[in-house]
Amino acid sequence: MKNLSKTIVLLTSLGFGCAANAELRINGFANLVGGITSSDDTLYGYDDKISFSEDSLFAIQLSGDINDKMTATGQIVARGSEDYDPEFEWAYITYQATDNVSISAGRLRIPLFRYSSSLDVGYSYHWISPPQSVYDVTFNNLDGLRVDYSNYAGDWEYNIQLAAGTYENTTDVYKIEGRDTVALTAEAAYEFFKVRAVYGRAKTSIDVFGLEGAFAAFEQVLPTKLYNDLEAVDDTGVFLGLGLEYDTFDWFVSGEITSVDTEKSYIKEDIAYFLTAGLRIGKFTPSITYEVKESDDGVKFTDQISQLPAALQAQVIGVQAAFDDDEQAVTLGLRYDYATNVALKAEVTRYTDDLYENSDANLLRFAVNYIF
Amino acid sequence: MVNIMLKHTLKKLSLTAIILFGSASVFAEVVIVVHPSNSASIDAKSAQRIFLGKEKKFSTGKEAIPINQVAGTASRDAFDNGTLGRNSAQVSAYWSKLVFTGKGIPPKEVADDAAVIAIVSSNADAIGYVDSGAADASVKTIPLN
Repeated sequence: MKNLSKTIVLLTSLGFGCAANAELRINGFANLVGGITSSDDTLYGYDDKISFSEDSLFAIQLSGDINDKMTATGQIVARGSEDYDPEFEWAYITYQATDNVSISAGRLRIPLFRYSSSLDVGYSYHWISPPQSVYDVTFNNLDGLRVDYSNYAGDWEYNIQLAAGTYENTTDVYKIEGRDTVALTAEAAYEFFKVRAVYGRAKTSIDVFGLEGAFAAFEQVLPTKLYNDLEAVDDTGVFLGLGLEYDTFDWFVSGEITSVDTEKSYIKEDIAYFLTAGLRIGKFTPSITYEVKESDDGVKFTDQISQLPAALQAQVIGVQAAFDDDEQAVTLGLRYDYATNVALKAEVTRYTDDLYENSDANLLRFAVNYIF
Repeated sequence: MVNIMLKHTLKKLSLTAIILFGSASVFAEVVIVVHPSNSASIDAKSAQRIFLGKEKKFSTGKEAIPINQVAGTASRDAFDNGTLGRNSAQVSAYWSKLVFTGKGIPPKEVADDAAVIAIVSSNADAIGYVDSGAADASVKTIPLN
């Protein structure tokens, strides 16, 4: 009920309520995804009992023209992983300044990845969900501004996006905040070829609830400089990304590589990438995807740590390992275009973890993607 | 000698005919239609840009209003596969990306060739495509090849 009234207030403030003469466009999309792992395994929230709630979602998008230059857009998403509690994930107003430049303000998606903008619209890509090693970042939506510039020269098409603002994301495990976030994306396409590069930066604070005790203890015993270096409060986090794609519509191959690094914190740099290839044979799109996520092996701040008593050294090194990753996955997938607004998909994923061997798992998922 | 050459040419001709009619039987041949007063220069490339929402204006600077046909008509299949270079499901996936990022609104869809001609003949900004046999004098036709 609280959510509903919040929704109405937001809609009204976006101009849906008052623009009686404007055309209101209603679109939506839904992903119904079921999955089950091999016995006693868990992966991406699934276990060996079939579940439909991890990746399923229903969303409605409302948009209306305020005048011939301005459009208001709101997207309400109900995720199975959050008990289908509807939430306003996007709400923004776009001003079409010229034919090539648009400015959007409100809550919008940070353009970090090739598929960031349509991340939740399963129908728009060949997977059931984009490779999680790369796409599963803790921040996706931004409260702020985005400027989009697009143009073409000869057979080259290009666009540049600049986003700025703040983000916040709280889960059961952590709370992350990014102030002064800036993301610059450049994309160029020539016939079947597409290249994309991203640079992002934010003053990042990460509070992992399970580590609060450890950090409270560190604050008492560690030298101030080392403590400040370790804690993840207001530290500059940098995101780098590069994507390449070749898509002839009969077949495609693409990949993305990203780096996420908050240098002055206990969290190590994470490098992730994926490669995917597929064929489009009539209504069928078989594909294969290989993905990797690895964190830097080195221990940070070794000069300072070496001066600590041995027992304390082990704890400081231990906390740096909290988010270590060394994992790979291979996914075989099949998409079937049932209609121009319905796709059926099936995927098998083999996941291997080189740090925690008993995390290895096989996952079978199937999905219905619908758009209207 | 002449006989052999003639035979050879005939063989070549019939082969060409098979290729031509063979490809024609897969998809209908469509032409672009605009209002008779529209003087913009339009080719397959600019039609593609307009129907994919990448271009919102004609070369004359006037607003372009693309009129699409519903999925499944012979003209739509021919236009999607021939001019847009992808099947209707892929076109729909392309638009879903734009719609749900607030970057575009897909063209209005109408039922058939006749409905396209009815709109285009009465709207100076409209652009559509129809089977080459369906166009009449109320619209200006532009071949795609």
